[in-house]
Amino acid sequence: MRDPLLRVERLDAIVDGLSVLDGIDLDLGPGEFLALMGPNGSGKTTLLRCIAGLEWPTAGRISLLGRDITRLPAHRRGIGLLLSEPALFPNRSVLENVAYAPLVQRVSDSEARRIATDALGEVRLEGFEDRPGYALSMGERQRVALARAIAARPQVILLDEPFAAIDPEVRGELRGDFRRALSARGISAIHVTHDREEGLFLGDRVAVMLDGRIRALGTPTELLAVPGSAAVARFLGFNVLPSGDQVVAVDPSDTQFVDAAEGLLSAEMLASGAVGRESVGIARGRSGERIEARGHLEQRWPAVGASVGVRWTNPKVLSPGRPDRTDASPKVR
Amino acid sequence: MGIAGGRVAHGSFGEIGYLAPILLFVLLFALLPVAILFERGWIDGGGAGMFYDTVWREATNRIALFNSLEQGALSAAIAFALGYPAGVFLARYTFPGRATARSFLLLPFLLPTVVVVIGILDLFGPGGWISSAVPVLSWFGEGVPGIVLANLVFNVPLVVLYTALGCESASGDLEESARTLGATPARVYRDVWAGPSLVGASVGVVLTFVFSALAFASPIMICGPRCYTLEAQVYALSSTFLQPTAASLLALAAVLILLVPIVGYVVLANRLKHRDSRGPIRPRPLSRSGWIGRSLAAEATLVFAGIAAVLITVLGRSISPVDGGGFGAGWSDLVSARTTATLGVPIARVIVNTFGFALFAAAATFVLVLLAALALRSRPRWEGGISAYLFLPLLVSPVLLAFSLAEFWRPILGGETTVWILIGISQAILALPFALQSLRVPLAGLSPAPSEAARTLGASRWTAFWDADVPRIGSGIVTAGLFAFAIGLGEFTATYFLYVPSFTTLSVAVYTLQRERFTDATAGAAALLLVVSLVVFAAVVWAGRTRGRHRA
Repeated sequence: MRDPLLRVERLDAIVDGLSVLDGIDLDLGPGEFLALMGPNGSGKTTLLRCIAGLEWPTAGRISLLGRDITRLPAHRRGIGLLLSEPALFPNRSVLENVAYAPLVQRVSDSEARRIATDALGEVRLEGFEDRPGYALSMGERQRVALARAIAARPQVILLDEPFAAIDPEVRGELRGDFRRALSARGISAIHVTHDREEGLFLGDRVAVMLDGRIRALGTPTELLAVPGSAAVARFLGFNVLPSGDQVVAVDPSDTQFVDAAEGLLSAEMLASGAVGRESVGIARGRSGERIEARGHLEQRWPAVGASVGVRWTNPKVLSPGRPDRTDASPKVR
Repeated sequence: MGIAGGRVAHGSFGEIGYLAPILLFVLLFALLPVAILFERGWIDGGGAGMFYDTVWREATNRIALFNSLEQGALSAAIAFALGYPAGVFLARYTFPGRATARSFLLLPFLLPTVVVVIGILDLFGPGGWISSAVPVLSWFGEGVPGIVLANLVFNVPLVVLYTALGCESASGDLEESARTLGATPARVYRDVWAGPSLVGASVGVVLTFVFSALAFASPIMICGPRCYTLEAQVYALSSTFLQPTAASLLALAAVLILLVPIVGYVVLANRLKHRDSRGPIRPRPLSRSGWIGRSLAAEATLVFAGIAAVLITVLGRSISPVDGGGFGAGWSDLVSARTTATLGVPIARVIVNTFGFALFAAAATFVLVLLAALALRSRPRWEGGISAYLFLPLLVSPVLLAFSLAEFWRPILGGETTVWILIGISQAILALPFALQSLRVPLAGLSPAPSEAARTLGASRWTAFWDADVPRIGSGIVTAGLFAFAIGLGEFTATYFLYVPSFTTLSVAVYTLQRERFTDATAGAAALLLVVSLVVFAAVVWAGRTRGRHRA
């Protein structure tokens, strides 16, 4: 990676007496789109708020282009933030919302208008200038929020689950438009999500955060090829299975339920059904682990309650290492 | 059970039956008597011409009108100046004891007016602790300054409370977005939360104006006739000068004049209620704030310390000698023969009366509010209309309420022995709007799912309400009852209008003893009333916190 634009070093944060961030190290390159993934409560939003200057870490350092900004107020950082709620000014038009940052930066009215109009073009909202924010759909409001953030000409934009409140059919289109608009301006972004499909689709690199620590960092391909620890593998949707002395991660599409006598593991069938355009079977292993298999829609699964064997291909051996706090297999009830 | 057109589907008019008692109670004991009083005054007085003569051309009434406007405006302006910074501080900063400070803001609703007036006189009046040490400050123990100071003790917390609510109604997400867009703290204030906080403060300021313009205890105890407000003048006309027609016309004028600020209050409160507050503001630790946060903290501390000082003085005066008595003279003089002679009944009877009326008000309010909750639970869409209807008694001042009850109901009920009914009813009417308010929040956040589940399991509507809803809003209902009890304990104006010596209450006793310059016994009675009110206040806070835990 080129010299980092944003660098986070050994960042700790304690909120209400609980350690929420624990020694976070993270670099973000110019123009890079980093997806920060993790389950709820893993510390993603706190990390973003520390970077934005809305919360102060208890230890560590944040620098932007080599300049220490750890204690700099939010309005002097030049880092934009988008939340799942677009948070538009309620009594202002779309154009007035987008021109807010240029006007705060004391550029002339005509220049602010030009910047705002350009930004609205980037998010494909030409012709919406005079509409009030409340008259827009959720997806359109989120586009206005992005245009408003872009118009501030930040070097980094932080996206905190911006598509969480968007209908699924609009979400896909919005993801692509956001990515394109940011790339066109060369703006780096950290995109927080707990949706692994979204993170893997959008991120140049993906960081997986668990229990306040970054447990894995790499390109989506790298991460899917070598998930590293069991907890990360489980978060990425792999089955984590014992295989002799080793523990392996297996993609559900590489997992099969067979006759009990033929399996590498034995399990009990729990449920099956269609998910999207695939058919999914779920079983419980002997030690309580959840095992998922995926196939085409016509796939026939053993009856619920039946004893089955589990077979797999393409196992990825997980590093033994120190067990994570989240490594305990989630038990299926 | 299903939802049909926004209401929970039922096949009967049961809800109207549950609502009928509270609707009838307000109609029969507030709206109807007042309407008939106004109608009689208008007809007996000769209509519009007499109305003009009574209100404007009669000098004492005109002075009362000016006094109301002057005292209301001064109190409102100073309450804003003192309350706004403290409200901002409470909403936007975290610090140890924040929850306790928030609870403290409820105290003015429950504090007997006579106790506060006695506290002001004990500090700044003749022989007061502060006026003795710094004589120039005796200015605050007499006339309009003293009245305004007493009004402030009640009303600054009101402005603080509503300012805090206004700040909290601003969008935290919008504030954070503005900050990351480069807006300075001053710009964030201007663009994001100045509006909501000022709307909130305005609600408190308007209420302060109304309460101060209708003040009764402070003008009559601190100043006398030259400072009478409309409320005190209505009392004087009806009870002292025996001019019921003039009194009813002046009361009508007071209602009409105060209609404007009251409508303003309703509009502002509605605006505050319906603000988009998605993403609540996140208060920051005081320890991390700069000079602004520390200045706000200092100002808020002064406000709270000032109120606490008044209350501590009342307690202190009851045990320190004033009239030459020994330690604890205030308390021992309460049971003296002179006190009994002054009041016409022994203090024990006064205490029994006080608790009896308060219990009557609390019980009536509890039952009425419980039934109303059951009806509103099933028909949430009625909530706006019912609240507006039950808000109407707020338009009726305590003197007007007592005056109309006496004129309408006393001839029907008969002699003095039935006065206790009217006192209890007046206290319940005055407590109802506040009691219902304490139920609105838990009712609004109440999920219908448990009660609907109970109904599908075969429970009757009442059983489902009792088993599924009451445990979740029970502390709200208890708070409503406690509120009514506390308001009844300290109610002075209506009670003073209606009482006869055998039904003297503690607040009336405080006023009577003070009027007779029986200083130590006054201090003792005021301290006793304060202690009881503080105990009930603690119970209200406890019930509120229990509710918070249930909701969590």
